[in-house]
Amino acid sequence: MRTETLMPDAKKAVPPFAVWRQILTDIHFWVPAIVLIAGLAVLHWIR
Amino acid sequence: MTSATTNTNMLSPTVEAARLRKLQLVGILCGFGAGAWLGAAEAPTKLVKLGVSPLVVSLLMVVGVFLARWSLPALIRGTGQIRIDIRQAPHLIVWGILAGCLWAVANTLTIFAIRDIGLSIAFPLWNINSLLGIFWGWLLFNELRDAGKLRWLTVLGGALLMFAGATLLAIASSAQSPAEHPMRGIAAALAAGVLWGTMYVPYRKAYLTGMNPLSFIAFFTIGELGMMLTLAVAYGGGPAALSKELAVAKPVLFWLMLGGFVWVIGDLFQQYAAKYIGISRGIPLSNTNQLWGLLWGILVFGELRGLSASLYAQVIGGSLLMAAGAGAIALSGVSGKEHARWKQAADREGQRYNVNADYVQAALSGNDANIASSARDASIATNASKATNVSNANNVSNAINSGVSTSQPAMQSTRSWLDYLLVITATTIFITLAILARAPNLALNWPALVTLALAMLIFLAACGLALWRTTRFN
Repeated sequence: MRTETLMPDAKKAVPPFAVWRQILTDIHFWVPAIVLIAGLAVLHWIR
Repeated sequence: MTSATTNTNMLSPTVEAARLRKLQLVGILCGFGAGAWLGAAEAPTKLVKLGVSPLVVSLLMVVGVFLARWSLPALIRGTGQIRIDIRQAPHLIVWGILAGCLWAVANTLTIFAIRDIGLSIAFPLWNINSLLGIFWGWLLFNELRDAGKLRWLTVLGGALLMFAGATLLAIASSAQSPAEHPMRGIAAALAAGVLWGTMYVPYRKAYLTGMNPLSFIAFFTIGELGMMLTLAVAYGGGPAALSKELAVAKPVLFWLMLGGFVWVIGDLFQQYAAKYIGISRGIPLSNTNQLWGLLWGILVFGELRGLSASLYAQVIGGSLLMAAGAGAIALSGVSGKEHARWKQAADREGQRYNVNADYVQAALSGNDANIASSARDASIATNASKATNVSNANNVSNAINSGVSTSQPAMQSTRSWLDYLLVITATTIFITLAILARAPNLALNWPALVTLALAMLIFLAACGLALWRTTRFN
């Protein structure tokens, strides 16, 4: 038996925009996002 | 009855003390295993003597990483498990890709940092990543909260000892060349440290929410390869220049991709360490990779030969400091109180992203989160009354805590033709490149090479066996 058949409703379908809203309103997301942008800026400056 | 609110209200109790100790031992072992394999990842790249730019070296290693990161999970668990993980926590795809982008930018920055200020100054600067990892772990994920002064002292003191040891080793192991652009180099090294230290935020986020490390790295590598390719094209003179360099690198493709493959195994252990002992302890332990890198350099490639006694003293002193720091961190276990704070952070994640509570709880206790949540769903579906649901929930929780082999069916049933195709394709590519590879014309110390390779294999077997027995790679 495949595992997927063991899962009648593993998780209700969440619309993509709802997932994005969850991510973008999470302060934890902005920590690495801002650090990434800053890192790209430093890379552009030093290269 | 299967709404997120209901599930959250029926959260399982915290992980049993005996199970917690077992998971911590596995995490510590994985941290040391990660150090051994990550340290050895640079060894194949030392065989590359062609005039290939560092950006292309990095890109080709990442290609090897990409192949390994899709074929190893397919071999161990099957890609079907990745699909199930996505269904439970789709937001983690974004987090995985973000972490991969952070890694690629940090890795590129280190190349420029070494160019501008040399390894001896650059390495200690970007090694601040473990201190930053401790900070993010404390601030965002309740790590080291309610841990007591002694644990704080051992973790922070251990990380600082390792930092001091790494500084000594870096100074001793690099040629002292004058810095060309000190400010730019320092900025690059510090930025790399901040990026790598922050990269552990998505790691921890994923593991608190329940994602399996083998699923997470599959998305991580998409961000890694995408960003690395973009940077190589942007800073390497465009697509035409890049393809020209790739053609030049043909004879050494195998060594670079082998380096990437070795790196993936180390990183996989690092992910499990981050999962089971947190980033505040797991990251400093895997930073022992510098010690292993040095061992490969000195023993196999004959580096640092004929140095002064003071430099040898620096190497020995730095190594002892690093070992003492790692030992202190390894001895600093997670208390029940601290683990309860981890669980609070996990509950917060579960509520924010509507993740099944059993899925999150199973992840914390090292069990197959998908089976646990499906067992819960099935039991809820067949029982109408709330009282019965709570009773069944407790049964599932007990099964989770006792670490019974709920994961075994998943391990046996999720491999498909796609998984075999991925494994065969990756193996074929590696064999083809090995045939095309040019044998390195280097004097190697073969007994030392065999000894270190054996040590790595022992770590591989020990970590693999411990992970399998305790968590079934969950």
